[in-house]
Amino acid sequence: MRFEGTGLCRRIGERTLFEGLDFAIDTGETLAIQAPSGAGKTCLLRLLAWLDPGQGGELRLDGRSPHDWTIPAWRTEVAYVAQKVPELAGSPDELVQATQRFAAWKNRAQQDPRVIAARWGLPDKAWTTTWSRLSGGEQQRAALAIALSRNPQVLLLDEPTSALDETATSAIEADLADLTVIWVTHDQAQAARVGSKKLSLAQLAPPGGAP
Amino acid sequence: MNPGPIPLSALDLVLASGLVVVNGLLSLWLGLGLEKKLFVASLRTVVQLLLLGWILMPVFAWNNQSIVFAICLAMVILATRAAVKRSSRSYPGAYRASFIALLCGAGSTALIGTWGIVGVDPWWQPRYLIPLLGMILGNGLTGISLGLDRCLTHLDEGRPKVDAYLALGANRWEAARPVAADALRSGMIPILNAMTVVGLVTIPGMMTGQILGGTDPSEAARYQILIMFLIASATAMGTALSVLLSLRALFDEDHRLRSERIQQRPA
Repeated sequence: MRFEGTGLCRRIGERTLFEGLDFAIDTGETLAIQAPSGAGKTCLLRLLAWLDPGQGGELRLDGRSPHDWTIPAWRTEVAYVAQKVPELAGSPDELVQATQRFAAWKNRAQQDPRVIAARWGLPDKAWTTTWSRLSGGEQQRAALAIALSRNPQVLLLDEPTSALDETATSAIEADLADLTVIWVTHDQAQAARVGSKKLSLAQLAPPGGAP
Repeated sequence: MNPGPIPLSALDLVLASGLVVVNGLLSLWLGLGLEKKLFVASLRTVVQLLLLGWILMPVFAWNNQSIVFAICLAMVILATRAAVKRSSRSYPGAYRASFIALLCGAGSTALIGTWGIVGVDPWWQPRYLIPLLGMILGNGLTGISLGLDRCLTHLDEGRPKVDAYLALGANRWEAARPVAADALRSGMIPILNAMTVVGLVTIPGMMTGQILGGTDPSEAARYQILIMFLIASATAMGTALSVLLSLRALFDEDHRLRSERIQQRPA
């Protein structure tokens, strides 16, 4: 399996975040992206998840474009986990139940997100607690576990361990080591640990430099 | 024959306008700065209502189908404008969505009311159709504007939540479901509240009018029940339709939320 993008371009208004961006990763590889804030890392991940419209370029997973997959199916294969968990109503359990009703989830092999998150030290009771009462770290682990539970082919992670302590961070890093991940981090050491490939700031910045 | 109401002379209206002076004095005394607004609002009340009576008189007399339809269309357009303007946010196409919602919601219930239930012959008889449609539109537009406002606020401020659902593989309808449910709820609450307290605290405007006009109160009550149900149904239909059309306009074919299409109205 290969996940690749060619000639990707993202502009917001007059501002070009990146253009002519190429990347490719194969099964089991992790592409670490390191760039200062504001350079468009989040926008890149959102573009890869087809959440924002791009201004050029092509994306392929297993040789098929997002439209070939159909968009909801693409997003279940290329799972984007935002840095900050939004203020969802209800508990993580309720989110899991809501996702079970999505058409794209039908007949899909799934793991139990509780079991996954338990490996990262998330207590069981967190699943029935409302999101707003969970700490940032608890939210992060629950959201990541839910994304992982449906066995996506690629994970798009935006600072997935930013609110976590060292123990939980290394547990997550170890768990994700064999998966195909695009991992945005500001932490150089983490980028070095998890990344089998790197996308540097220079590639992200548009010709002429980022503003 | 019913004894008609005691006629009001121009002098009577001048006396009535004296009552509004109380508001003006209060505003001046407390420095509310509402004098100008009050003056304009009072003036509009006088001009708009006199104009309405003046237009309706010949319309009722002529009993001409095309003229009745033209007036109904104008009413729907005015209600559309009011509905969109009341919402704190808008998007290109909000007018279109609200127009279709009001036309279908209010139009169909007005038709059911005059033709299906009251059995007016012909069904478009202006004496019945125009006031009924007016009542339905006036209340329906509240529901539509509240629903639209709630829907757009959720999609604008609550974008991360919708995106979280989309990122988990929800299609646009699955992701928008909580938004739609909440928008519908907020659009329907005013009419539900009104139906709960109607007749307990106030005698509604139409019933008051009919009683003053000499109708038997029990007959007036039955008409009021009909109009409440027509309004409730029109509000539900109109709000649902406007929310659905708005969701379709604000999510693209690729199941992406395009909240950049939403504009916040300057306060």
